[in-house]
Amino acid sequence: MLKHLFTLIWNRKRANALLIVEIFLAFVVLFVVGSLLVYRWQNYRAPLGFAYEQVWEVSLDPGVQPKAERYATQQQIIQRIKSLSGVRAVTRTASNTPFTNSHSQSDVGRPGEKGFRPTSNVYYLDDAAADVLQVPLEEGRWFDRRDDGAPVAVISHDLKELLFPHETAVGKLVEADGNRRVVGVAAAYRADGDFANPKPATFLRNGVQDTVFDHLRTLLVRVQPGAGGALEKQMSADIRAIGPGWSSNITPLSESRDKQMKTVLTPLVALVITCVFLIVNVALGLFGVLWQTINQRRSEIGLRRAIGASAGGISGQIVGEILVVATFGLALGLLAAAQFPLLGVLGVRVGVYLTAMALAAGLVYLLTVVCALYPSRLAAGIQPAVALREE
Amino acid sequence: MLWNYLKIAWKVLLRRKFFTAISLFGISFTLMILLVVYAFFDYAVGPHRPELRTDRLLFVNRMQMLYKGGGQNNSSVGYAFVNQQMKALRTPEKVSVSEANPGTAVAYVGQHTLKLDQRRTDGAFWQVLDFDFLAGRPYNLPEVRAAAHVAVISETTARQYFGAVAGAVGQTIEVDAVRYRVVGVVHDVPIVRLFTYADVWVPITTTTDDLRSSNLQGAYQAIVLARSAADVPRVQAEYDQLVARQPLPDPQRYERLVSHALPLMTNLTARFGGGDVGPSSSNRFLRVLGLLALLFMLLPALNLVNINVSRTLERSGEIGVRKAFGATARRLTGQFLVENIFLTLLGGVLGLGLAAGALHLLNSSQFIPHSEFALNGRVFGMALGVVLFFGLLSGAYPAYKMSKLQAVKALKGDNAA
Repeated sequence: MLKHLFTLIWNRKRANALLIVEIFLAFVVLFVVGSLLVYRWQNYRAPLGFAYEQVWEVSLDPGVQPKAERYATQQQIIQRIKSLSGVRAVTRTASNTPFTNSHSQSDVGRPGEKGFRPTSNVYYLDDAAADVLQVPLEEGRWFDRRDDGAPVAVISHDLKELLFPHETAVGKLVEADGNRRVVGVAAAYRADGDFANPKPATFLRNGVQDTVFDHLRTLLVRVQPGAGGALEKQMSADIRAIGPGWSSNITPLSESRDKQMKTVLTPLVALVITCVFLIVNVALGLFGVLWQTINQRRSEIGLRRAIGASAGGISGQIVGEILVVATFGLALGLLAAAQFPLLGVLGVRVGVYLTAMALAAGLVYLLTVVCALYPSRLAAGIQPAVALREE
Repeated sequence: MLWNYLKIAWKVLLRRKFFTAISLFGISFTLMILLVVYAFFDYAVGPHRPELRTDRLLFVNRMQMLYKGGGQNNSSVGYAFVNQQMKALRTPEKVSVSEANPGTAVAYVGQHTLKLDQRRTDGAFWQVLDFDFLAGRPYNLPEVRAAAHVAVISETTARQYFGAVAGAVGQTIEVDAVRYRVVGVVHDVPIVRLFTYADVWVPITTTTDDLRSSNLQGAYQAIVLARSAADVPRVQAEYDQLVARQPLPDPQRYERLVSHALPLMTNLTARFGGGDVGPSSSNRFLRVLGLLALLFMLLPALNLVNINVSRTLERSGEIGVRKAFGATARRLTGQFLVENIFLTLLGGVLGLGLAAGALHLLNSSQFIPHSEFALNGRVFGMALGVVLFFGLLSGAYPAYKMSKLQAVKALKGDNAA
């Protein structure tokens, strides 16, 4: 039966070519959009690796103050902010704060090993960051007072997997801005936001000796729940009062997160709307073509009914035929889709491509079956007496 | 003749309303999506206020230094370079210097924080660009020279800070703890106008930045107004010469200095297209866009082809008769093409309506702050072009196929073709 259907379609391949091409294109569109959606969705489901609620980013601009005085002023500001009621903890960091798309990267490796040095995001933080960002740890601990004197680092899960795949990382040395001892392994850290892939991350402790202002001019502040405009105004007034000519820009991380989500979601939504339109278009077209075909084949179907084919047999044949056409289109489409993981076009994980392929293929089959249902029932309802008289 | 074709086309459309509806759905939505995208594009780079004289404006906001071993150092332009060397250029009518990116400044209304984008500009800024002043005036050259604390603010800022546009002029606005006297209120500038938009514009001399630094790279940009559109290439050439004359800051490390004066669209496409920023980079970007639009049209076009082809049967009687009476294949092809273009034009009208609705929805939702997307002559022309192209694309094959029907077979009703 199946072989028979394939032969039927193969013999009419010229006539079906356009349909096959259309299904092929529909599959490719579904596959590409599906890959992006699956990728974003899987990332969205994963934990961020830090807490962003009730955390404010305070970026400081020292204006024209001479460089030598800036560090002292910043320390005063930190002390002042810490003492404000409604503030829980303050940490000093560089401008690569979460959700800002700002990166500071360097190659991190094991000391003495020249060949393999994966690129990692580097975050300068201090002891208070444990309370501010609340990075969950898989192993070991966050840095604290015990580490005064010895340079230490915390690395993220992804970097640990690269550098220490089959062993524990705590206690080992890594080379990142000098040799540092790993005291903890953090969970996957995704400062690029809810939709981004985790990237290797290295957290370095600002030691007491880091008395330079310029690369650590941002503060992350954890505030008490409910703190709002009044505290913000107070902070920015205090900063201006302590540092003449200083100005600040205070943004809650949740605000940056919303902004970033909007920029990621907008193109996705536009893409999905376009995709849905294209698919509806294809479905309507398929439906129209099938309907027309049934009208053209009335006599053939009438004859088959006359010599004993059942109504179910007829509708089964119509649906079967269109499924075979869809299979031809899909085969072409899978060939094209297989190039994506091979060439790494979209830059997502291979598993995502496979999921998207399965999803797209399933959708195409579903689409063709739904479009064929009504025409096939129409065909099954053809009365041989009526159809054959028309001859 | 043409009138007859149109009448036939109309009757054919009415005969099978379901198929007509499918075809029109495909055409109108395709067109709507393309038009919305084009309206975005036009909104970002077309001649709109404040960059009304797009054909005469040139923008300089990138100074690249290429390293000897490869790699580059990108930045905006230094103030002194623009203010002294570029203002001395002979070909342009006027050169304006302003901050390349607006900075965030904070103003407080009671307990409420207002985050404002603040851009510092010179006095010529208001002469090369055409801002829409709702009240007051721009600050002038003497005020800029004296570093007067005066500001031009946007309509929304006026409403948020003072409660109304009327009466804002003459009052004081405190931005980042500095008090400015408002001298003018302008119509909002959308954020997509990267080089001019802001919420508050203040004289460049109020900056704390060191304006005497002779560094070629800095945080500034130049907006150049040419005397006429035809004069633009001469201005570009003179600017390129000026850049070529500049001594390299560190000949040991750097190989070359790259900077061009580019029209609005080239400048934006170069920014987002990446790669080498030359006067030709815009073409590549446009080609890619065109290709994407073509790919996007392919599926709906194919769909229309499929429907048209499968409907050939309905017309086979008519085609047979026409052929038997001596109509040539060419004439029939022409007729079917006209019919298809008629159909796509109908879809086009629908599509324009849908696009207008979609843009209105986008504007009223304020999804992009201060956006005022609209259909205009350029968008309309684009629509007409796309519709004709789409009509030809989807009509050619079915028309060819129909015209090839054999008269005898067609009359017999045999449709095995």
